[in-house]
Amino acid sequence: MARLIEHPLGIIMLLVISIVSVMIIFLIIQSIPILLYRGLEFLTTSSWNPVKEEYGILFALGGSVVVGLISVALGAVLSISLAVFVAEISPVRLRSIFVTLNDIGAAVPTVIYGLWGLIYLAPFLYDYVMAPLSTFLSSVLGVPSRPGTSIFTASILMAIMIVPFSSAIIREGLLSIPTHLREAIISIGATRWELIWIQIKMVKNYIIGGLLIGFGRAVGETVAVAMVVGNVIQPEFYKIFLPGYTVSSLIADQYQNAEAYTYMVSALFAASLFIFIVGLLANMVGLSMVKRR
Amino acid sequence: MIMIKDLNVWYRDNKILDNINLDVPRNVILTIMGPSGSGKSTLLRAINRLIEIYPGVRVEGEIYVDGVNVFKARTEDVRRNIGMVFQIPNPIPNMSIFDNVALGPKLNKLVKSESELRDIVKWALEKAYLWDEVKDRLKEPAAKLSGGQQQRLCIARALAMRPKVILMDEPTSNLDPVATNRIEELMVELKKIVTVVLVTHNPAQAARVSDYVAFLYKGRLIEVGSSSQIFTSPKNELTEKYITGRIG
Repeated sequence: MARLIEHPLGIIMLLVISIVSVMIIFLIIQSIPILLYRGLEFLTTSSWNPVKEEYGILFALGGSVVVGLISVALGAVLSISLAVFVAEISPVRLRSIFVTLNDIGAAVPTVIYGLWGLIYLAPFLYDYVMAPLSTFLSSVLGVPSRPGTSIFTASILMAIMIVPFSSAIIREGLLSIPTHLREAIISIGATRWELIWIQIKMVKNYIIGGLLIGFGRAVGETVAVAMVVGNVIQPEFYKIFLPGYTVSSLIADQYQNAEAYTYMVSALFAASLFIFIVGLLANMVGLSMVKRR
Repeated sequence: MIMIKDLNVWYRDNKILDNINLDVPRNVILTIMGPSGSGKSTLLRAINRLIEIYPGVRVEGEIYVDGVNVFKARTEDVRRNIGMVFQIPNPIPNMSIFDNVALGPKLNKLVKSESELRDIVKWALEKAYLWDEVKDRLKEPAAKLSGGQQQRLCIARALAMRPKVILMDEPTSNLDPVATNRIEELMVELKKIVTVVLVTHNPAQAARVSDYVAFLYKGRLIEVGSSSQIFTSPKNELTEKYITGRIG
């Protein structure tokens, strides 16, 4: 400890750590009033009525979980395919180009994804997926409306947004498999697809880790989701064609008026505490999976 | 058993192997020895067409294994009949001991039933002198075995496909002397059931195990002969220099 304080870089590190710690402590302290006031109902009911000081975020928690799960499921298929393509199928000479393109995808500001999602993706999904499917699935998935903002649209957009991250992690896993192991698998008569399949199983931890990190991102992402999720208090969050909320979009959408009500600030802090814990857990487990190999 | 005719291999513009002609009789150990960079590994990988997975490699010539022209056959079929063991013991780390050996027969659909698969795995592990050490822990990850055991597991993995030929690329270079000794004994035992082509840069090992020795230098086959002839009266000056340690 003493050595940390002596070194200038050590002081900077301590400063960063203390800021983060203070933030977390602050988050917990700010969350206490609403939890004392509403108790578990804060998590188990779907009501958001600041005028009556009624706060229950089940609808937003549900929205976050649904967006997280759908985007990860879809992201899994997309990111594994993309990683396999870049690491195994694309010509070695073109690989670095694909890697760069993929990594640019991760660097695009989320608001650009959001804008694109709102202007192009949502209407597209409405016309070609939601409207046709809802003709016979509306009782399960809900009746969509223009311009197509919905939990479903947010899920698809998040899937697109997490693919660059997840696939980069899976790709690095595949590329880290030593040549002699690939040679060994080929030498026992494996076809190209058998080789790919065996290698996918070898990087299982990278896949799970990459997807958990993606899940953490999907659950925490705010701007892009807030732009396409619809921002409607919708207790039936599982009807994914309807507009809804996620916890982060709820916070982004409601914070302007928060100071006007007694418990709303605390409610928003408590909501962010839960989303923070979920995201942190997903990231930590994900990173440890990647490191464990 | 193996007949190599006018084999040339290029990597981009570099000629790695220059007009190789070599016959390997059935059920012998033929050792390809030579200094590093002489093309030994390339020659070995040409036989099971493994060299062709690398972009920029061009192969010319003919190789017959058990009468089949490998360049006219499906690569998977060629490789199925030719086992290979590598420099670094490389069982598939996330698979169990059993699954590593079972992989070849499964991929190539050589077995019809689970019991047949168990029999072939047992047979291969016995032939690789590993059965007694692992029979009670077949479900454990292969990564738990020692280096020497892992290498014998890799030999079992190759044997499980009932190949006619086994290629060994410096299989003991990462093992301690005791483990090396066991692998060498195993090779001599194996030639009863397969033809072994061994690559080594260690002339002493070549002298210990080989029936025939081929000396490769800078991509050219300098001399081939019986082990005793090569090590007692080499015809070529380069061969003599190599086995006496004056080039290497």
